[in-house]
Amino acid sequence: MTRFIVMRLLTIVPIMFGVSFFVFILAHLAPGDVTTTLTGPYATEEVREQIRESLGLNEPLPVQYGKWLGQILQGEFGKSIANRRMVAELIFPKFANSAILALTSAALAYAIGLFAGIFAASRPYGPFDRFTIAGTLMFGSIPPYWFGLLLVLLFSLTWRLLPATGMTKIVGGGGPVDVILHLVLPTIAAGAAPAAIIARTVRATMLEILSQNYIKVARAKGIRRGTILRKHALRNALPPIATICGLQLGYLLGGVLFVEVIFAWPGIGYQLWQAIQARDIPTIQGAALIVAVAFVLVNLAVDVFNAYTDPKIRISEGVRAR
Amino acid sequence: MFGRLRKAAAVGVVMAAGACVGLGAMESKPTRAEGGTLVWSIPAAMSLFDPPQSCGWLTKNATHMIFDGLVELELGKPEAGWATLRPALAESWTISEDGRVYTFNLRKGVTFHDGTPFNAEVAKWNYDRFSNPEAPQYSKVGAAYLSFYARWIESTRVVDEHTFEVTLTQPHYEWLQIGQSSCGQPEMISPAAWEKHGDEDIALHPVGTGPFKFVEREIDVMVVLERNEDYYGEKAKLDRMIYRQITDPATRIAALRAGEINMVTEPTWDEIENLVDEGFQLLLQPNVPSVWYAQFNMKHPALQDVRVRKALNMAIDREGVAREVLKGTGHAEYGMLSAGTFAYDPDYKPYPYDPEGAKNLLAEAGYGDGLELTFEIFDYGWNEAWEKWIQRDLKKVGVDVKLNKLEWMTYLGKWLQGMPEGVAMNSMGWGWSVPYWTAHATRCDHHPPNGVNGGWYCNEKVDALYSEAIMTQDQAKATALYREANRIIMEEDVAFLPVFSYHNPILLAPEVKGFVNGQENWYDFTLPYIEE
Repeated sequence: MTRFIVMRLLTIVPIMFGVSFFVFILAHLAPGDVTTTLTGPYATEEVREQIRESLGLNEPLPVQYGKWLGQILQGEFGKSIANRRMVAELIFPKFANSAILALTSAALAYAIGLFAGIFAASRPYGPFDRFTIAGTLMFGSIPPYWFGLLLVLLFSLTWRLLPATGMTKIVGGGGPVDVILHLVLPTIAAGAAPAAIIARTVRATMLEILSQNYIKVARAKGIRRGTILRKHALRNALPPIATICGLQLGYLLGGVLFVEVIFAWPGIGYQLWQAIQARDIPTIQGAALIVAVAFVLVNLAVDVFNAYTDPKIRISEGVRAR
Repeated sequence: MFGRLRKAAAVGVVMAAGACVGLGAMESKPTRAEGGTLVWSIPAAMSLFDPPQSCGWLTKNATHMIFDGLVELELGKPEAGWATLRPALAESWTISEDGRVYTFNLRKGVTFHDGTPFNAEVAKWNYDRFSNPEAPQYSKVGAAYLSFYARWIESTRVVDEHTFEVTLTQPHYEWLQIGQSSCGQPEMISPAAWEKHGDEDIALHPVGTGPFKFVEREIDVMVVLERNEDYYGEKAKLDRMIYRQITDPATRIAALRAGEINMVTEPTWDEIENLVDEGFQLLLQPNVPSVWYAQFNMKHPALQDVRVRKALNMAIDREGVAREVLKGTGHAEYGMLSAGTFAYDPDYKPYPYDPEGAKNLLAEAGYGDGLELTFEIFDYGWNEAWEKWIQRDLKKVGVDVKLNKLEWMTYLGKWLQGMPEGVAMNSMGWGWSVPYWTAHATRCDHHPPNGVNGGWYCNEKVDALYSEAIMTQDQAKATALYREANRIIMEEDVAFLPVFSYHNPILLAPEVKGFVNGQENWYDFTLPYIEE
């Protein structure tokens, strides 16, 4: 198992290099010039050139990339061009805010997705299964920004039960209870589509496994339905379920931009969007990189989990490594 | 309801549903005449909090509360046709007979928020920061932003501890007021704060003399200011001012309805009527210097024929834009002299809606069978509503317009470079509180990269009129010169297609009292308070 984890960690290195390269290139390929916002409409080309020079933006791209990579390896993300804060100071708190929303949304999605998927598969084409199919189709198709607005309209404006925007009350807010109240609606808006996707995946996987011969044998032996589901079917269904759960968490950690915008949630996706609008290259690079790292690490965790639950995976990986 | 609102905006007072909803100050019987926190949902990010290096109307809304200049705009008289200057850190000022030397008599006993005293040395230190490359505090970025202001300065001088003098390179009677712009602001920072934090980080530690002190800024989330109890002038009534960034228009309105904020600008036009019916206050200001226009590309093959440019102007139903698109939050504009300036002529309407006349002119110019044009526009969160109206109207006279919509930063970069031959026109919306603003978009020596005349328009006769106007102290004579320049631009050369002036609709929660929607895109936050 240790060998498996080490091998997996080693594969992350080239992936992260690739990610850092694409993040860097994309940030620099975006049209528009940051000196436009930095110097205003009346600046001469000479002044713009001086600003580019002071920011190191007129150096060849490979040199800029090398310098940036050197900084990153030392744990430095540089300074924001647009607002002069250290990029790390900007992006880590925002990432933490996104992580809070992502984890609660993922928890909600896992709970609903697993429950609905397993029970729908246990009684296929029954009323609950049909309800699940219709519900997941609906929630999987609803755009999160529309769903978010609907939730605000009902719970904040009509029934006055929950706050509409932000992470805490602006005046006199703060504290865990305040944050939890502000979390409810964005969590539902962000978690609805992943819950639907997970439920459909779980249902399909479980249906396939429940039609296998060894399940029929187990039933013929008179083993109870709950035991078959829990011990025989679910355990074998875990790898694909864990994979889809991990992917959904990765997407959520990347900042569910629409949800963050609709609820004015100060997350990393919103920060990245603002940085792109300002052509704030160090912040774009830092924010995109941290999201990419989170995505890779979540998938690593899923791989480890799958290897732990399925010996075939770790054995085959070990054989390939040799 | 809206018919009433539009009519009222024209006469200056709005009475709606028994509540007093007006252009400016709200009259009421407050139970408490000061205090409270005003939370305004700003629609986009602010820039740096260092006046010479900051740009944008949103940022100015915070910086002009933290910092003071020598003078400032009077924004508390909403009924006036345009904003005039009033004393700030200068108690008074004189202009020499030759129009070149401005002498400022500075206020005594003023200190910055960090306790640093303000005097003539400090004023010169601040002016040197953007006008004297030899000064150690000189800021290239600040000088670039303020070049429209600093380019006229020949020298600055400390006359005595409380007298500061600026000598211009030539007479310029609008110079002081062109400094009241939002992109580059000649307001005073504390030299001690600059010494402490350095040029790079001074924007993170804003220290001015203004009516509010900086408390905190969470980037792209919110900015908090609190009342300066030691302010030299009339103290602010609010305890705190919070600028909360909410970019989505629907979310801003939801937050207002939920009581989480109490001020919204840039509301969605379709929602205004409902919100007024729900009891929210609507403030409009018809004299904001903000013209929304399309600039013609004089290098475009088809547009080199003045008849085509005239036809495009005749084909647009501007009154329809104001009525149907803006829902009464703007008025049709026919010239490039913007409202909110002393030279504005509200009766100037050279091109009434005349689609038949436009068709005839196009046919005369050889485009009777149709014409295809590209119109570059930017994303402002308005869903290109007025630009689509232009497209629709021009289609009626046989002109197919392709709307090329770009994200703001991409657009701005292209706008500053000037239009390439294939682009027929591009859009913009801006203005200053002085009529000289139009020169920026029209002067021959303002072609890119030396300015923002991206349509490559040039008429030396117009330039001469502007040059004469700024040297004319008599406002009536200057008005005549500006109006003549505007007539040439719009009737002889037809270099623009002005469409509307915006009235800056502001929605306030019922508890907000005393707010004035002045003749600019920034507001005097010392006036409002929250009624408990």
